[in-house]
Amino acid sequence: MKCVILAAGEGKRMHPLTFTRPKVMLPIANKPILEWNLLNAIKAGIKEYIFVVAYRSEMVRNYFQDGKNWNIKIEYINQGEALGTAHAIGMVEKFADDFIVLCGDTIFGKDDIKNISNKKPSVGLFKIENANEYGIVETKEGNVIKICEKMDNPFSNVINAGIYHFDKKIFDYIKKTKKSPRGEYEITDSINMMAKEKNISGIFLNNWRDVVYPWHLLDANKEIFNKINKKVNGTVEKNATLVGDVTIGKNTVVKNGSYIEGPVLIGEDCKIGPNCYIRPYTSIGNGCHIGNACEVKNSIIFNNSNVPHQNYVGDSIIGENCNLGSGCKIANLRLDKKEIAVILNGKKINTKRKKLGAIIGDNVQTGINSVINTGSIIGNNVFIGPGATVKKQIEPNSIIF
Amino acid sequence: MKAVILAAGEGKRLRPYTETLPKVMLPIVNKPILEYVLDAVSKSGIDEIIVVVGYKKEVILEYFKDYKKAKITYVEQDKQLGTAHALLQAKKQLKDSFIVLAGDNIIDQESISKLINDESKYNILIKKHPHPSKYGVVFLEKNKLKEIVEKPKEEMGNFISTGIYKLPKTVFKIIDDLASQGVYALSTIIQSLVDQNQEINTIIAKSWMDIVYPWDLIKVNEKMIHEYSSSISGTIEKGVTIKGDVFVGKDTTIYSGCYIVGPVVIGQGCEIGPNTCIFPSTTIGDNSVINPFSLIQNSIIMNEVHIGSHSRFINSIIGRGTIIEEHFSSITGTPTVEIEGEFKKLKNMGVMIGDDCNIKSHVVIDSGKIIGRNCKIDSMKKIIDNIPSNSKVM
Amino acid sequence: MCGIIGYNGFRNADNVLIEGLKRLEYRGYDSAGIGVIGKNLKVFKEVGEISKLEKDIPKLDGTIGIGHTRWATHGGVNKENAHPHLSGNKKIAIIHNGIIENFKKLRENLEKQGVKFQSQTDTEVIAHLIEKSYTGNIQDAVVSALKKIQGSYALLVISSDEPDKIIGARKESPLVIGVGDNENFLASDIPALLKYTNRVVYLDDGEICVLEKNNIKIFNDKNREIKKEENLIKWDFKDAEKSGFSHFMLKEIYDQPDTVHKVFLGRVSEIERTIKFPDKVENLIENINSISIVACGTSYYSGLVGKYFIEKYTDLPVNVELSSEYRYFGSKNKDSLVVCISQSGETADTLAALKEAKNSGCKTLVITNAIGSTATRVADAYILTQSGPEIGVAATKTFTSQILVLFLLSLKLALIDNMIGADRLYDYILHLKELSRKVRQVLERNQEIIDVAKKLVDSNSIFFIGRGINFPISLEGALKLKEISYLHAEGFAAGELKHGPFALLTKNTPVVAIITNDSTYDKMIANIGEVKARGPQVIAIADENDNEIEKHADFVLRFPNNSSALSCIPISVILQLLAYHVANLKGCSIDKPRNLAKSVTVE
Repeated sequence: MKCVILAAGEGKRMHPLTFTRPKVMLPIANKPILEWNLLNAIKAGIKEYIFVVAYRSEMVRNYFQDGKNWNIKIEYINQGEALGTAHAIGMVEKFADDFIVLCGDTIFGKDDIKNISNKKPSVGLFKIENANEYGIVETKEGNVIKICEKMDNPFSNVINAGIYHFDKKIFDYIKKTKKSPRGEYEITDSINMMAKEKNISGIFLNNWRDVVYPWHLLDANKEIFNKINKKVNGTVEKNATLVGDVTIGKNTVVKNGSYIEGPVLIGEDCKIGPNCYIRPYTSIGNGCHIGNACEVKNSIIFNNSNVPHQNYVGDSIIGENCNLGSGCKIANLRLDKKEIAVILNGKKINTKRKKLGAIIGDNVQTGINSVINTGSIIGNNVFIGPGATVKKQIEPNSIIF
Repeated sequence: MKAVILAAGEGKRLRPYTETLPKVMLPIVNKPILEYVLDAVSKSGIDEIIVVVGYKKEVILEYFKDYKKAKITYVEQDKQLGTAHALLQAKKQLKDSFIVLAGDNIIDQESISKLINDESKYNILIKKHPHPSKYGVVFLEKNKLKEIVEKPKEEMGNFISTGIYKLPKTVFKIIDDLASQGVYALSTIIQSLVDQNQEINTIIAKSWMDIVYPWDLIKVNEKMIHEYSSSISGTIEKGVTIKGDVFVGKDTTIYSGCYIVGPVVIGQGCEIGPNTCIFPSTTIGDNSVINPFSLIQNSIIMNEVHIGSHSRFINSIIGRGTIIEEHFSSITGTPTVEIEGEFKKLKNMGVMIGDDCNIKSHVVIDSGKIIGRNCKIDSMKKIIDNIPSNSKVM
Repeated sequence: MCGIIGYNGFRNADNVLIEGLKRLEYRGYDSAGIGVIGKNLKVFKEVGEISKLEKDIPKLDGTIGIGHTRWATHGGVNKENAHPHLSGNKKIAIIHNGIIENFKKLRENLEKQGVKFQSQTDTEVIAHLIEKSYTGNIQDAVVSALKKIQGSYALLVISSDEPDKIIGARKESPLVIGVGDNENFLASDIPALLKYTNRVVYLDDGEICVLEKNNIKIFNDKNREIKKEENLIKWDFKDAEKSGFSHFMLKEIYDQPDTVHKVFLGRVSEIERTIKFPDKVENLIENINSISIVACGTSYYSGLVGKYFIEKYTDLPVNVELSSEYRYFGSKNKDSLVVCISQSGETADTLAALKEAKNSGCKTLVITNAIGSTATRVADAYILTQSGPEIGVAATKTFTSQILVLFLLSLKLALIDNMIGADRLYDYILHLKELSRKVRQVLERNQEIIDVAKKLVDSNSIFFIGRGINFPISLEGALKLKEISYLHAEGFAAGELKHGPFALLTKNTPVVAIITNDSTYDKMIANIGEVKARGPQVIAIADENDNEIEKHADFVLRFPNNSSALSCIPISVILQLLAYHVANLKGCSIDKPRNLAKSVTVE
């Protein structure tokens, strides 16, 4: 049995983080979301994988290659056009006839993957509080009757979790599937067709987390910390203090005066300190520099970025190759303490968070003493001049003085 | 279900802007009116649209050649005889019921969805209007259409026809019949259906905007600018103040000292400032340059416009490619304009200048005046009348 | 040019090939065809657009195939001449972009050996040559056949005896490999494969590629296997369509109010009074003491205009040379900047000159319209004309865009040398911004140009004359007319007429005289007088404020008032329209003139 992972999506709602990487490659605790799924699937016993890629496929291919590093076999198929989940799954017809499908951008646990592997055909289900953002599943005696569309007043809180087990019969239904109102071929429509003629088991999952908007990464990041083994490689100087679960990658140096309160994850080849304060649920990638008098809290910092002098970064996400100028600070709390709204892709969205800093893309350079307001979204390659103030949405390649 | 959009008209009353563009291509917040209509129709679920073109069709074909939200088929109306005649050109493309609407009225997607989903055989979208006698006034009986009166002499009624219908394919029989008698208006066709005791259901449209005269462009621009996303691209120099919802396109530079209060939309490749004020609800197109110490409020500036320093535009329209040198003033007032034999007072009107004009420095233009396209006005002239296209004021 | 595409993978080849051909359609078409190997080798081809092929074609099963869209060079447009071409035993199918120079001799030899030809194309000989050389290995057969061929090719070959591979070969016609997952592609250019992969390998001349589903092997011209670098493509491509105009050329002429503006985008700032090029370009032009401009055809003429600008605004001496002559006479001074101008970036003569200049240690700059073309990869730096694809074979919008790039370059050089200050630069910038409008004004007077065109239709020969900057413009005016209307036309420096060409003037040789309100005005009036005295009708292209010209010329076409050197832009548009209308009135094939190819990828 093979495992098909859908990794073709751009994830437009994850802009600006997905301008240069597909959604499945967004890092949580320093590993791409896709890798967490892969590790859990490997623990569940699966050895052969097919990744359906398209958008920025080279990022997936260059990272995972042929699977040798995990002792598994990975094949790639390019979806070509983003025509929907049924179209993506249909691509594997010549390559698999008994397979499970995972949506690569949702994290599934190993036990759940195992349970789905043992029953075919099956659809993974999950009970959730706010079910009106998802498709509700109607079940009867353990079988899936219909996967319904999003509705304002859902009649149940059982949603389609995005994990399936199919055999080659699904391809007949995929071929018959018509385009949905939003112009895509949806696997849920194929499943509904199949459910009328065959029994499809509905299997409840124990663990499920999906990420839609950038700030959800902060939640996912927080959650995954209990799965990480605390391990300190690298060099920690005598008068640096590590409290709680702190993981430090090799070749990283933590200088005196650094105070790190776990759970915190720091990658390889980093320069930490002296005299910096890193607070819980922070993930720092490889090759980063967190310098003197800096405070970082509940944030994700991608590879090769610098928070080097007198900065505050709270509840934020900073992309790759960024550099914050000395004194640049990110505000994460409104003065009136209300919920923070952002402007993403031109639309205003209430994040329902009282604490949110900034979502910053790749290659952003900020000048000394620049100020970034709560809920700012800054695109790739933006220059923010010395002393400048940033708020709302800044498109890529802009210059703000 | 398919949609037929009528986009063949010239829009004579919108001159001088329609001398180079068909009416449906006039820009509202930097998008042609037709694009709003196409988007609303495709968003409501229709994926095949037939567009009837005629006057200056190349502009439409070129602009929408990459349109992906729906499949567009173009049919040509070679003589502009009337709305029913335009619809007739689409007859071969239609098999079942369809909706028909004008490409130059902005309509919201919800109203279109309601129209499509209603089960009645014939349907018309109507709108409440304070001055219905400028349009086709509709009279209802129990929510069904009783009578349409086109442009009645006296003030009557509350509702007008939007000209948006859902009709069955069989309606073409009547259209063909009446066409052979020289009747080409769709509203007359509908009236004759009523007379034949056909039941025509009425649905009240949520938001519908018609654009008849140049000053209507400003009003509609003001309404639609609120739907525009706010984001900043390009280069924003130090000392620029941006308040409210402002969109700045890529490769645009806002120089120091500019004060921009949203809602404002600025296109791509522009240069604004230094020390220029842009107030709501102004739309500036692509590649325009606004020199220092100018003030622009509630105006539409189209592409490639050059505005000299110390110029002032309030409630004004400047056509594409026009060059206006420094110290330009338009007098904002409440002029009385003659429209189709009637006199109408326009509140707070600035000036409407056509494409490709060349206006030298220190020119003053009286409120409500329309300057045609390709006009040349020498320095220090005071303009108190409309100027026809291709004129020179020396 | 033709478009070619090959696919070897897991998808249905017919769909992939037809889609790829649609993206190559911008290269033009008159017929198209595909060949697919499923259980056996099936070929389907016909005259007409790709969309027609798509509708008519039956399902061809198979996951390996080749496709071709034809732009006829040898042989008429009919089904038999369309590609793919089959070998005599119908087991080998080939498609080809290029020209086989010795095909007549090869065909004669093959016919003597009993081969029956189905078409009049040069391509078909290749199929038969491969069959004759086939002894069990298709790659060897192709290599052996190619040894007998002189000419240019981008060639794809499939054989039903070895249905798991496509053989690709490149010599002076572009061919790229697309590296996919469980599939691989070959195509004339990148847009054809961008949908499925963004990884490409560029084939160089003389190389052969063996393309399997999961494996790509490349062999150099000595038949040794080599490893080549994979490149990641980051850009987008948008197709061009005629959108309501009757010819691409007319649409492209009408594009010019926009394309003129596109040259300035990101380079000219009115408020800051600056001109900026990318760093690579600015670093390149900093310390040069002379310039050589190298180009062919219309680009050569824009080069001549460029010489005029650069020598007017700076002290730099400029040589303009024909690419094909560069290797014999071209200056190869190391402090010299060699500027190559090529719309497609693939013109063989210009590429050869560019490579020579580079090898001689010169600094090289390319002005081109094609991002990702060979020229942009060879030169030290490049400036794009940003005009969008130009499909009509006769260059129109790229000519005016090239002139404007050269204008900006000359101003930048003048700024670097302090030959002009910010104030004069501002003046020029304002004039540049007016160009869109002036071109629109010319386009509105289209009917007047048609009326004049009617007068030229029955002429034997038409002469174009101009002075100063108008001399190369008159050369281009004559070239445009020649290219698409097949009338004999020739451009002359107005002052040169009396040194020979006067002998050709008769009543039936109208003369188009370009006359601008500058220091050349009086002498041009005199030249016009001299011409009229010998019989021909004179059509003057004159400034709209010129009140005297009516007394001297028989017909006048006006361009909007402009005393700067930039009047060459609206004047060029008038000459383009003039050529277009003459050709249209004569019923000539405007987008595909006889015997002409868009990008001459043959030396």
